[in-house]
Amino acid sequence: MRAILKVRNLCAAYGDFQALFNVEFEIAAGEVVALIGANGAGKSTLLKAVTGLISPSAGEIAFAGESTSRTPAHALVRKGLAMVPEGRRLFRGMTVEDNLRVCLDRSRTDVEQALRWTIPRIHELFPVLKERRRELVERLSGGQQQMVAVGRALLAQPRLLLCDEISLGLAPKVVKEIYQKLPEIRAGGTSIVIVEQDVSLAKSSSDRLYCLLEGRVTLSGPSCEIGLEAISRAYFGAHS
Amino acid sequence: MKWLDALVQGVLLGGLYAQYALGMALMFGVMRIVNIAHGDLVILLALLGITLVGVLGVSPLVAPFLLVPMGVIIGWALQRGVLNRVVKADPLPSLVATFGLSIALQNLMLQIWSADTRSLSLGALSSMSIELGPLYVGVLPLGVFAFAVALTACLHLALRYTKFGRALRAAAADGEAATLSGVDAKGVYALATAIAVGILGAAAFCQATRTTVAPADGGAQLIYAFEAVIIGGMGHISGAFLGAMIVGIAQVVGSRADPGWGILSGHIVFLLVLALRPQGLMSRT
Repeated sequence: MRAILKVRNLCAAYGDFQALFNVEFEIAAGEVVALIGANGAGKSTLLKAVTGLISPSAGEIAFAGESTSRTPAHALVRKGLAMVPEGRRLFRGMTVEDNLRVCLDRSRTDVEQALRWTIPRIHELFPVLKERRRELVERLSGGQQQMVAVGRALLAQPRLLLCDEISLGLAPKVVKEIYQKLPEIRAGGTSIVIVEQDVSLAKSSSDRLYCLLEGRVTLSGPSCEIGLEAISRAYFGAHS
Repeated sequence: MKWLDALVQGVLLGGLYAQYALGMALMFGVMRIVNIAHGDLVILLALLGITLVGVLGVSPLVAPFLLVPMGVIIGWALQRGVLNRVVKADPLPSLVATFGLSIALQNLMLQIWSADTRSLSLGALSSMSIELGPLYVGVLPLGVFAFAVALTACLHLALRYTKFGRALRAAAADGEAATLSGVDAKGVYALATAIAVGILGAAAFCQATRTTVAPADGGAQLIYAFEAVIIGGMGHISGAFLGAMIVGIAQVVGSRADPGWGILSGHIVFLLVLALRPQGLMSRT
């Protein structure tokens, strides 16, 4: 299958602290890939490098067959790279509808009409957002805010959707409700990366998984073939 | 009758202050950029207008159509060249940068135009008035007020219902999240500052035709603009208009009570609002 994202020998650093070491990462079109690892393993740094929020110190990132090194972060969204950031990061002081429209205003245009995400489609996916569309986002519950964050990213008409810890701080019932929507999102041809602390959830929701430890990929392969023991070794290190 | 006249004249003065305040409402109220050079930019544009008319022979009625584009260019260059480098969650860097710019601009203006006060004459239009019942109202102040009302409505609608308005509010709320939503935050900020300083081009014309200007006058315009935005509530365009009306009315009513109390009355009303409703009159919180 054609790769939608290819990351080769990626290194990234914050000042003197190197956060990623020669990371190799690849996602095929229509694939769901889980990215797991302990806090500080480099998962969010990898996503920030992919989205262009930080510049890698070495390596190559290609999205939809094109290098992203000369494309500013905001322009990558229009090419079909969208992200649900950790902590939701909604626009406070704006209504649910306005939060959704910010992404819709700048969405990718080369999408078939039938596959296009529209606000009514987002309301079908998360009906509660229709009821609360005129309310300020800060008045919504955490789960509803996460639905706005997912909806906002979908309205960019992504080829690749990066979800950074979307279950963080949410009730299990809400997490289940959001994860149940992933197959529907994927059905439209969108590839998905889920960064997740809940290893079982990550494994059961993905086709393949990558495990990061201290900035290095320590395990990768089909999710159904990787056992929990191997994940444990890769997650905590060989000494555990 | 004296007090009704004071109220009407206060509203008309508020129309002038609203033009200072609307640019400030965009930069400080929405983008949270503290532009200390705001008043100096009004004075710079007013002096440029006076020079265009007095030295280059441009018609006074054409001057605002030149001052607004000049303001737009200055604003865009200011944001791209200076402010985009210092815009962060912390407002201190932009405050320090624009404080330095304010001092530099004042000295530059003193060097070019000296400390003399100047004004722009519109001939008979400057003193023309119409009779409204028992009151006489100046045509020029009425025009300034009507322009301020139209500008407030346009800016309010643009911020609320256009792609640009949504992008600006998103970038001001969370720049990184806005970038992840496809917003070119720096480009949007440059456009917003261009609009804010473009409005100051119109304000500068109104200032130069209604009263006099001198290079050191910028501080007063800055304070009135800040007071109007804070009285109205941060982030509310119509609040800035309301705040400007309150400052204008307080100044005129105060000066009718005692000629020395005009400016002071405006400051006292501002302090009262700050003490009793620090979030501003239009804030929903």
